[in-house]
Amino acid sequence: MYKYIIKRLLFLIPTVIGVTFIIYFIMNITPGDPGRAILGSGVSQADVDAYNHAIGYDLPFLQKFINYLENMFLHGDFGISYVTKQPVFNEIWPRYITTIELAFLGMIVSTVIGIPLGIYAAVKQYSATDTVASLISFLLAAVPTFVLGLVLLFCFSLKLNLLPSYGIPDWTGYIMPTLAIAIPIAAQNFRFTKSSMLDSIRQDYVRTARAKGATERTVVWKHVLKNALLPVITQIGLNLGLLLCGAVVAEQIFSVQGIGSLIVDRITQKDEPVIIAGTILISICFTIVMLLVDIIYAFIDPRIRAKYTKKRG
Amino acid sequence: MKRRKLFAVLLSAVMVMSVLVGCGGDGSSGSSGETADDTIYLRLMSPLESTDWQQTSTLEGNKITYVQLFEGLYGIDESEGGYYNLLAKDVDISDDGLTYTIELVDATFQNGDTVTADDVVFSYEMAMNNAKFGYVTSMIDTVTAQDDKTVVITLKYPYSAIDHTFFTVKITSQREYEEIVDGGGTFGTAPHKAGTGPYYVEEYDVASGVKLTAYEDYWQGAPDIKHVEYRVIAEDAAAVIAYENGELDYITDAPLTEWENIESAAGDRCELVPANDIQFLAINYKSESNNGILSNPKVREAIFYAINKDDIVLSSTTGYGSPAYEYMLPEYVPTSPNADDGGFKTYDYDEDAAHQCLLDAGFTEEEIEAGIPVGTILTYPSDNSPKGKAAVVIQENLRKNGMIAEVEIKEASPGTIDMYNQNYDMAVYSDSGNYDYNNIRQQLDSESTGMYIVSYKDDNNTFDWQYMEDLIDKGVAVTDTEERVGIYTELWDYVMNTQTILPLYHSAVGIAWSDRIDVSAINPTYYHLTDMSWA
Amino acid sequence: MFTKAKQNMNDDVIVYQRKGKVKEIWRRYKKNKGAMIGLIMLVIIAALLIFGPLLVPYDLAITQNSSLMLKGPSSEHIFGNDGFGRDIFARIIYGGRTSVAIALIATVASCIVGSILGAVAGYFGKAVDNVIMRALDIFMSVPDILFTMAVVYALGASFTNLIVALTLAYFTNYVRLVRSEVLTLSEQDYIEASSAGGATSFRIILSHIIPNAVGVIIINTTLNVAKIIIYESTLSFLGLGMPAPQPEWGQMLSEAREFMRNAPHMMLFPTLAIVIIACAINLVGDGLRDSLDPRLKS
Repeated sequence: MYKYIIKRLLFLIPTVIGVTFIIYFIMNITPGDPGRAILGSGVSQADVDAYNHAIGYDLPFLQKFINYLENMFLHGDFGISYVTKQPVFNEIWPRYITTIELAFLGMIVSTVIGIPLGIYAAVKQYSATDTVASLISFLLAAVPTFVLGLVLLFCFSLKLNLLPSYGIPDWTGYIMPTLAIAIPIAAQNFRFTKSSMLDSIRQDYVRTARAKGATERTVVWKHVLKNALLPVITQIGLNLGLLLCGAVVAEQIFSVQGIGSLIVDRITQKDEPVIIAGTILISICFTIVMLLVDIIYAFIDPRIRAKYTKKRG
Repeated sequence: MKRRKLFAVLLSAVMVMSVLVGCGGDGSSGSSGETADDTIYLRLMSPLESTDWQQTSTLEGNKITYVQLFEGLYGIDESEGGYYNLLAKDVDISDDGLTYTIELVDATFQNGDTVTADDVVFSYEMAMNNAKFGYVTSMIDTVTAQDDKTVVITLKYPYSAIDHTFFTVKITSQREYEEIVDGGGTFGTAPHKAGTGPYYVEEYDVASGVKLTAYEDYWQGAPDIKHVEYRVIAEDAAAVIAYENGELDYITDAPLTEWENIESAAGDRCELVPANDIQFLAINYKSESNNGILSNPKVREAIFYAINKDDIVLSSTTGYGSPAYEYMLPEYVPTSPNADDGGFKTYDYDEDAAHQCLLDAGFTEEEIEAGIPVGTILTYPSDNSPKGKAAVVIQENLRKNGMIAEVEIKEASPGTIDMYNQNYDMAVYSDSGNYDYNNIRQQLDSESTGMYIVSYKDDNNTFDWQYMEDLIDKGVAVTDTEERVGIYTELWDYVMNTQTILPLYHSAVGIAWSDRIDVSAINPTYYHLTDMSWA
Repeated sequence: MFTKAKQNMNDDVIVYQRKGKVKEIWRRYKKNKGAMIGLIMLVIIAALLIFGPLLVPYDLAITQNSSLMLKGPSSEHIFGNDGFGRDIFARIIYGGRTSVAIALIATVASCIVGSILGAVAGYFGKAVDNVIMRALDIFMSVPDILFTMAVVYALGASFTNLIVALTLAYFTNYVRLVRSEVLTLSEQDYIEASSAGGATSFRIILSHIIPNAVGVIIINTTLNVAKIIIYESTLSFLGLGMPAPQPEWGQMLSEAREFMRNAPHMMLFPTLAIVIIACAINLVGDGLRDSLDPRLKS
């Protein structure tokens, strides 16, 4: 097991290299350059070229890629933003902390709402609660995030004047962005939990347990739930991983300074150092979350655990 | 089994812990919601890139660095349309117009140092070595300090638009700048006191905003409002709500689609002023699309007559802008030709004229009925931007008048580069912030770089570009306003008759403020925090 | 990693033959009320989108009328008019054709690309599997939006390019899904038998593995169409959607954004359209999953 974890952690190195390569490739095929973005439109192409040369932007992309890896691995140097001249992590850290906060809040809220409701709806299938919850989850899962965000903004900031209309001045600032992120995922969790529960309920061992005279409560809590929640954990983990990539739409609407909007903004300015460092950070977090999910999973599910202790990972 | 469970519980606990740490850690991303009495709150649409005037590249950023933090030799009076002496107390121009002898006012930098001629030389040399400012410094030959308070600036050739240079180049404290750079820092990445402006940066967070503090020893007198806080609000709807809820004290460039809401909340504490900008349609007469159809002047004329500027004003500015005929608004640019005075050709929506032009161009009624493909309208930066909407309206105007056009909307950078490289059929472009008609040179002179969209110089001598350039040179060299208006009217009439540039509209700027403050002057572009005072 | 979940869920899927089973599936499907409602909704929507142009001329969707700007629903324009005075109902019909077409084609494309990669990885195992899956891990850890922006900025926003971008964002799901199916299935006896009998690996993938994984793929494809229709609106929000003036739901929504307060109908109708079609698709998808799952037979 520990071997497996170490192997997975070591895989972070090729991941970082691969991600860097992908971003350099993307930057290479997209039009525009930092010189033009920074100097503005009134400047001659020769001056723009000179600027790009001075910051080393005009090197062939493979060479830039190798230089970057060298600086990163040998000197721990991730570069300086072309746009703000700040060391990249000065910009990335505060925003990534916001992103992490929102991601975890989003995960917790969506789990707390979605999963208990899903369990309840499965146990009491065809009840009024089930029908209503199913219907609402169907609708909410389909509403585009920015529509949801704007509706929240209009309800809570404009009409009720309860919550701040932008940024995170205090804890109340987290409410709307978290809801905008969590609602669609809660709907998804609800549906996923419900169908996973229904799958479990129909399993033979549940029938056996029932036949043996176990109470309905024991059946649900002891047998069904344990099995049904296995895939749900993966689902939660995957969603957390995706949330850690930044929530561009919610960040934009609620003026929250997260990593997603930073990267999207800087793409148009071709701010390579920020985009690359930001993406590397995202991919490392994503990979680690996925690893944690796998580990938790392995410890809960003996079948999987058996697999690891054998040989193949 | 037990151990496994324990492990899982522990892992979950770690995950939860990290949330709590993350949340409880710091609330640095915003500041407290309560409005402290001595602070006013303003909006930033996007984060401020730098506290250095040379580094800010958006108008948003310049509004802070150009006016509040730093000052130039001249200032701009937007409402009167001219420049006034700021750090320059007295300017003496030699008879040949080449030597400017400038006496400085008694001002101090925010760090307490007195402004000296050496600081001016230092600042000008910095700008002259920065390609970004080439467009305002390329005519300067030398800048020297005659004595402590006198600077001599010599030009390579007479240049009447030098006023704009004196506005654009900001005076920076050489000592402060060099101390920061020598200390291994980068100027502009942190708060500093290197400007002479009424406010200095107290706190600077590149992500969430900026806090300014009044400079008590400001040479024109201490500002009334002591603390100003800028907060990044990306979403227009949120900014309007923030204003209505009293979370913002001053909002400029308010979204025009919501102007009604702002007006009803602001009462008489708001004003709508014409923007100092121009949105225009350029036609690339050299384009080879559709067998070079755009090289036919009659087709270009048909396009001009087919465009309904009122429709565009309605869609792009919610009706608050105004149809444009000149390149620059005469209200802001005294040297501009004025459509009210006539003297140059104008185009208004005229279906019959458009139709006749197409017939004259040799198309049959059937072809017009079926729609004649005329190429693609290129613009930037997004579908929902005013320019994007203008392109969509033009497309529909053309369709109603027998011409078929596509619309292509690109990101700003690739879009404008396509335009500069003559890689387009038709383009909706905009220019702003001109306070002197000499800036027309950027658009019409074949030697100009960037922003040069219609290239009038070609191998076939389609147009008399030499004539145009002579007129520009004449206009730049002359200093008498009336004479310059005459020259530029002649020039603009020629340009209008090439059917290559069609002014579409001037936008409008909505400004509103809270009941906590009074505002004594309204500027469309650069507001002055010193114009605000407690109510 | 998260393939494990799927594997687990489908552990007990009994391999069904196509012939004769269709009837059985339909019998089970019919019994599911929600699924039938979804199917009926979907048929109505499809009819509207396919035959809509017979009722509403395209001109209506693009003709601007400044006097009707932002007008709410009226008897002449039942969904009202947008910021250019265009008829929203007509734009919903024509926009739906574009949105749904993009979603369908992108789903099929990502399904094909992903299935092939997944099948290859699952079947060959070992080094091939390792290379494909590790490359995929790296690929997945880069946010989708970066790929989409790259495609749109480099090639421009157009029907085809959006499909390319969406395919890049969605094919990864299928790789994992099909791979895990293949892993489960290849342990089945008959595959081992045909492999022993000398059938080439490519033939085995084509004739046995793919047809047997079809059930899971269909369910996912259905649900994916709904996801992509919703995702298109996010792209439009970021300015990466279909170019004007050709209507598309996501683009209509992002146009409506600045008018939300003064003309909420502009946002209401495209949102309803997206919600309704996504619900219908999800209902059908869920229904399919239930009726393809033999454990429900009883």
